[in-house]
Amino acid sequence: MQYKKPFSLQFTFSNTAIHHVKDFFEKRMTLILFFVLSMLSIAMFLYYYSNGIGLAYNDARSHLDIGRRVVENLKPGFAQLGSVWLPLPHLLMTLTIWNDFMWHSGLSGAIQSMIAYVATGLIIYQFLKQLGVSMFGRLIGVAVFALNINVLYMQSTAMTELLLLATMTAGAYELLMWHKEEKLFRLLKAAFWIMLSTLIRYDGWFLFLFAIGLVFIHTVRKYGYKTAEGVIVLFATLGGFGIFLWLLWNLMIFKDPLYFALGPYSAHQQQLQLEQAGVLATKHNALFSLQTYMYALIYNASFVTVFLGTVGSVLLWFDKKISFNIRFATLVLLAPFFFNIVALYFGHSVLFVQGLSGNSWFNVRYGLMMIPTLAIFIGYFVYRVRALRFVVLGLLLFSTVFSFANHDAVTIDDARVGASGKNVSEVSGWLRTNATNQKGYVLVSVASHDAIIFSSGLPMKRFIHEGTGEYWDIATANPQRYARWIVLRTNDTNDFTFRVLQHNQEFKNKYTLVKHFPFADIYELKPEYVTSLQSLPGQ
Amino acid sequence: MNVMKILKKLGPVFFFLFCALMLFFSLRGLPGNPTSKDLNDLSWKDNGPLELSPERGRYALLYSIVEDHSFTFSTDIARFTAPDVAYTPDKRYVSLFAPSLSFLVIPGYLIGKHFGVAQVGAFAMVALFALLNTILIRAIAVRLGANSLAATLASFTFLFATPAFTYAVTLYQHHISTFLILLAVYLLIRFNTIASLAAIWFLCAFSITVDYPNLFMMLPIGLVALVRTFLVEKHEHFVTMKAPLLRILALGGMIIPLAFFLWFNAVSYHNPLTISGTLERAVEIKPDGTPLFEKDVLKKLQGEVIEPIVIDSSLMNAFKNRNAINGMYTLFISPDRGIIYYTPIMLFGILGLVLALQKKQKYAGLLVAIFGFNVLVYSMWGDAYGGWAFGARYLIPSYAILSIFIAFVLTYYKRSFFISILFFVVLAYSLFINTAGAITSSKNPPKVEIAALEKQTHTVQEDNYMRNIHFLDKGNSKSFIFHTYARNYVSAWTYYSYLMIFLISVPIFILVYYRMLSVPRKRKEQHAV
Repeated sequence: MQYKKPFSLQFTFSNTAIHHVKDFFEKRMTLILFFVLSMLSIAMFLYYYSNGIGLAYNDARSHLDIGRRVVENLKPGFAQLGSVWLPLPHLLMTLTIWNDFMWHSGLSGAIQSMIAYVATGLIIYQFLKQLGVSMFGRLIGVAVFALNINVLYMQSTAMTELLLLATMTAGAYELLMWHKEEKLFRLLKAAFWIMLSTLIRYDGWFLFLFAIGLVFIHTVRKYGYKTAEGVIVLFATLGGFGIFLWLLWNLMIFKDPLYFALGPYSAHQQQLQLEQAGVLATKHNALFSLQTYMYALIYNASFVTVFLGTVGSVLLWFDKKISFNIRFATLVLLAPFFFNIVALYFGHSVLFVQGLSGNSWFNVRYGLMMIPTLAIFIGYFVYRVRALRFVVLGLLLFSTVFSFANHDAVTIDDARVGASGKNVSEVSGWLRTNATNQKGYVLVSVASHDAIIFSSGLPMKRFIHEGTGEYWDIATANPQRYARWIVLRTNDTNDFTFRVLQHNQEFKNKYTLVKHFPFADIYELKPEYVTSLQSLPGQ
Repeated sequence: MNVMKILKKLGPVFFFLFCALMLFFSLRGLPGNPTSKDLNDLSWKDNGPLELSPERGRYALLYSIVEDHSFTFSTDIARFTAPDVAYTPDKRYVSLFAPSLSFLVIPGYLIGKHFGVAQVGAFAMVALFALLNTILIRAIAVRLGANSLAATLASFTFLFATPAFTYAVTLYQHHISTFLILLAVYLLIRFNTIASLAAIWFLCAFSITVDYPNLFMMLPIGLVALVRTFLVEKHEHFVTMKAPLLRILALGGMIIPLAFFLWFNAVSYHNPLTISGTLERAVEIKPDGTPLFEKDVLKKLQGEVIEPIVIDSSLMNAFKNRNAINGMYTLFISPDRGIIYYTPIMLFGILGLVLALQKKQKYAGLLVAIFGFNVLVYSMWGDAYGGWAFGARYLIPSYAILSIFIAFVLTYYKRSFFISILFFVVLAYSLFINTAGAITSSKNPPKVEIAALEKQTHTVQEDNYMRNIHFLDKGNSKSFIFHTYARNYVSAWTYYSYLMIFLISVPIFILVYYRMLSVPRKRKEQHAV
């Protein structure tokens, strides 16, 4: 009697077909990733746009306003780029921000973040490829970055983080390639990307110095001091060009090359106030600076990501199969980590983490800066410890799924309930209701109330602010001639409008407080003076 | 010679009998078959063996099934179970916990009841599972290449040198969960048949009915089993992938436990898809029998905790990445729960994990996955400290996995005198701590509740194992044997000391014997050189 085998589904694949499939993905993965990341980016922008939290950060609205003021303002022009923030994101915005939808949807700022998001994902993929990591490891690395809920939120908003990440990661990648190939063109490309990053955030300046150190050490070790000197001059000339331009800009516009650092609107001034208020606890406290940044990092990236990334970094640096040059080059990925801790320690940066710094969030998004680094190290970890690749995948999936299920995005909390997200909708709503289609300007300080300007929906030309030059001078001297409404924080001398008007008799006599809100008060010109309102000269 | 051989073969039997005896002497309980009214007495609740609500919750369901033949709690039983009792929309009190533990201990309860020690009988069932876990750890470690003596010592470490000891002598789900995980792992590494696959699927599904988060710990096992369902054959020019129908049908192993689970939910909550965690929680039963809901109590207390409210793992949406920093701290380094304080011997397990990965141990990935999920799930869970508890109780499955890795460490470093001594010292410390936990109480508040507790009681409160030591200082022990017999002859400290002497003698004996076996071989090798 013949034994009958039980039924079995059977699939046969020829080795050729399997190789074809492998080749297909190997050759076209960049394209596939580009498509997938682009779709994800667009979907997440639409999601956050539709639920109204796409512009939750006040800073996002301020960035958009700066871009808008370059093209539409009482005094439009590049001088509106100001000195508070580095100019590249706002310069890029000028291409699209003239369009009201692009301005008010935030897309003008978000689109560069979205492109940067896709680009960073692709750079991570290429970086891992250069480290010899398998396709699986590369995809895991990209996924760690691309599926991070905080990254996805920040790429959907008009903030500068993603653009910075893209340029810094590109700089790091080119630096790696230079260490590997030692082609001058690679070094110039690295310098170019780092130069761009120096025009986005001051993190880029630290990266520039860090990269100089790495390039110098590498060249001295291999070719001696004289060659190193030449290479450094070449690298620094292009890499530091953005810094030079920024200093020059400050000198030309504000008559002080260090105006951005020491001027009245600078972060330094803010930090001084915080220090006086006794809340700059990280200053001169190395351990607390480290702890604060580690918390921010873990809240942004998740504990499992930080843990696996750390193990991955150790494995990479101790892997003797990889040339020392390559391992050395990957140190550049740590620049954001050192920068943030150093900045916190010296009091140049402020970061509040709920639980560590009272019950508030502020700038916790800085933890985002290390996510590409962690993604690369995790990709490497997966490649090195093959036995754990599915374990790593499972743990990361678990963490990611629950971060979405619970809307566990610390950057959104930072924006909505932290100090970064003051709710100005009441003030701006009042202005929208009462100032639209009415005669007269609104006198307001952009340094204090840019978010109100944005949220009011009024054209930028309706506002007289510090950036409008003589209009500001005229209007603060004789407010009743131009300003029908004045928005300021009464008795707060940090508010520039209040500071200049506090002793102004016309302001005291001819304006009445019409509305008091938590973040600003609105004063309106008394009705008997409205008829004497004038247009600004030249408008 | 023959005697030695016989002894060698019987060694494990004697060892497990010894373990059973130690568990018997540590088992918590009181004599008697308490009624639902008796159970509400403090001598059974806070001062007795059913001191915390997770134990009471499971015991309540057990009692209700056996004595009242119902899944709906009587008012007395509901009052006994509070603050962990659920209240259904149709105004019934039901269990807040996954049901299977209560079912599994029914035989023990009935046997115990026959001898007038119903509660002790129920607890003994958990001890039995703990013993089975010890056997499985040894079996898995040996199967994976560890020396049998090293494996024996590793299994001993799990049972007596970790908080697993405390939860082996009372009514918690952890040992059942661990048993299901270990059994499934053993089946995976030992067999590759349709029956073994069906059994693994059965265990995976059944584990959810014991404790909902088991789903995640079982996930790696389920995935390996799923891969095993398909047979891949590589030929010279092609690859075939077969999916035999019978292997696919093995997935049917899940049907029975899932059907049981749905049936239980349907009967208890009138909806098969409702799980207890989604129901309203009553933290107190008023004199008129109506519930006082958790939200009302929280309002009343205005944030102050005055009752040991234990929230168990049932809500999926409570897993947050943001909890992980505090969770990891709690589970590993906090003085009130952390591994390094309660069971530092487990650090050898982490060393073993690294060794296993370096040596490309075949199933290291699977074991790491179970360990990783266990740690991650409970670090992301808002209540990583496990309410009022002794040590990190949620990590009991991890202690089992790490113990397997400890067997590798002991095997790998069998000739290292330094490692042997270090291991012994750390093991002795861990035994000292965990034996105290086992025979005293699990009612250790987490650090976050200490301030409110001190304010309420006007006394200094301990949040770590010193609480258990002070419990002994006061002459107390919750061990059934001590409470019923031994206290007439010895103090609690003396009882504890006797247990310690017996327990500490095992690693001494094994380590000395182990070295005797390995050192001569080393000398022989040196001579040969």
